[in-house]
Amino acid sequence: MSGESEDFDLLAGIYVLGALEADEARAVEELAARDGAVATSIEAWQNRLAPLAAAVPPRTPPADLWSRIEASMGAPAEDEAEAEPPPTLPAQMTPLSRAWGSVTVWRGVSAALALAAAFAGVTILSRPEPATYAAALAPAGAPSPAFLAQMSPDGSLMVRPLAPVQVAPGKDMQLWALPEGAKTPVSLGVLPAIGRSVSLRNLPTGSTQLMVSAEPAGGSPTGQPTGPVLYSGTLKRL
Amino acid sequence: MSRDPRRPGFLFPLPAAGYRRAEPDEVVLSETPTDLASEHIAALLQRSAGGDRAAFRQLYDLQSGRLYALALRITRQPALAADAMHDAFVSVWQYADRFDPVRGAGEAWLTSIVRYRALDLVRHGVREVTGLEVPEQEDEDPDPLARLLGSAEGAALHRCLEELDAERRTLILHAFMDGLTHTELAEHFAMPLGTVKSSIRRGLAGLRQCLEPEGAE
Repeated sequence: MSGESEDFDLLAGIYVLGALEADEARAVEELAARDGAVATSIEAWQNRLAPLAAAVPPRTPPADLWSRIEASMGAPAEDEAEAEPPPTLPAQMTPLSRAWGSVTVWRGVSAALALAAAFAGVTILSRPEPATYAAALAPAGAPSPAFLAQMSPDGSLMVRPLAPVQVAPGKDMQLWALPEGAKTPVSLGVLPAIGRSVSLRNLPTGSTQLMVSAEPAGGSPTGQPTGPVLYSGTLKRL
Repeated sequence: MSRDPRRPGFLFPLPAAGYRRAEPDEVVLSETPTDLASEHIAALLQRSAGGDRAAFRQLYDLQSGRLYALALRITRQPALAADAMHDAFVSVWQYADRFDPVRGAGEAWLTSIVRYRALDLVRHGVREVTGLEVPEQEDEDPDPLARLLGSAEGAALHRCLEELDAERRTLILHAFMDGLTHTELAEHFAMPLGTVKSSIRRGLAGLRQCLEPEGAE
């Protein structure tokens, strides 16, 4: 397993475990919806970890749970009257989830999302903006990526930290893009430890390398990296 | 999102010595019963995919107890757990045809769908809403992992968890069973976030390596 797929595989494991924060989990779902390898990793982790569920002793569900489920299943052919959605969906549910009772909405779920249901129930419960390219930015020679960069169809690149990132006092991190074949990187701006979204609109994306360097506070004074490269990774199409 | 620190027994300690009550070698891994049960679940899912409501009801009867317990453990509120179950089972009914027995056990598929839905509900902050707290029962169990020994897959996972160091094992268990994020784990174990993250990462890598030889087709 190469370094990058190793990263993505462990990320998938952490996702299945449930330890990711909501936005990180969403990012992995976006990845999985586009990248079959990530989806396969998630599936493998589900199979590995699911037996852990046995550690929780069974509990009797509420008596009315089945009738609620049945009411949302849609009517059998001979009884159309029961196709009405149940009126009692809780207000806390997300809008899409709240529309669940409607069989029409269910049928409207796209084939791609339905396909995603094969590996994760959650992907049919949400409609992520699909990412088109992604890169895991890791220190040279180290297995753990510090940032996950994901590009949306609109050309925006979201860079999120996957682990707490320490910045040396008096320094800033700066993000750079080095398109394939280019000799000098283009600055994408200072990168806060909590990540940020930048625009890649005017850059080629295929095999573009992303790098994070340590620079004087405020960013490189020369327009080119002056400090060491802390993290790097290559954008790959999902 | 943070957990109620008053919740008694939340951080159940992993028993060190008593935990090894059954050596993997002593466990009779009679695969037939669990295999049969798994085949039955898979068959019910496939019949559900064909619109067989009786099969789906049977699936619910067989699996809802353990799945509801999981959802309740994560959401900690009966109403939310029921919502998670409702959403998940409706999803299973609609998408049962996407289940492929070649790619994994039906139980694992169901477990995942229920867990994701429960996690999704609590990740949206709904768990913050005051509601009935679930009386803690699970944590009174001195050795929750012993339950894993009931199936061949569970026994393999049990053995591999035992090979992890205690900190990694504890973090992985609480993440999975309680639906705790990195941040929540760090808060409740009073550990640095970075340590939690790297422990979980290394723990999972260890589990994968331990399980891989057995999981190889």
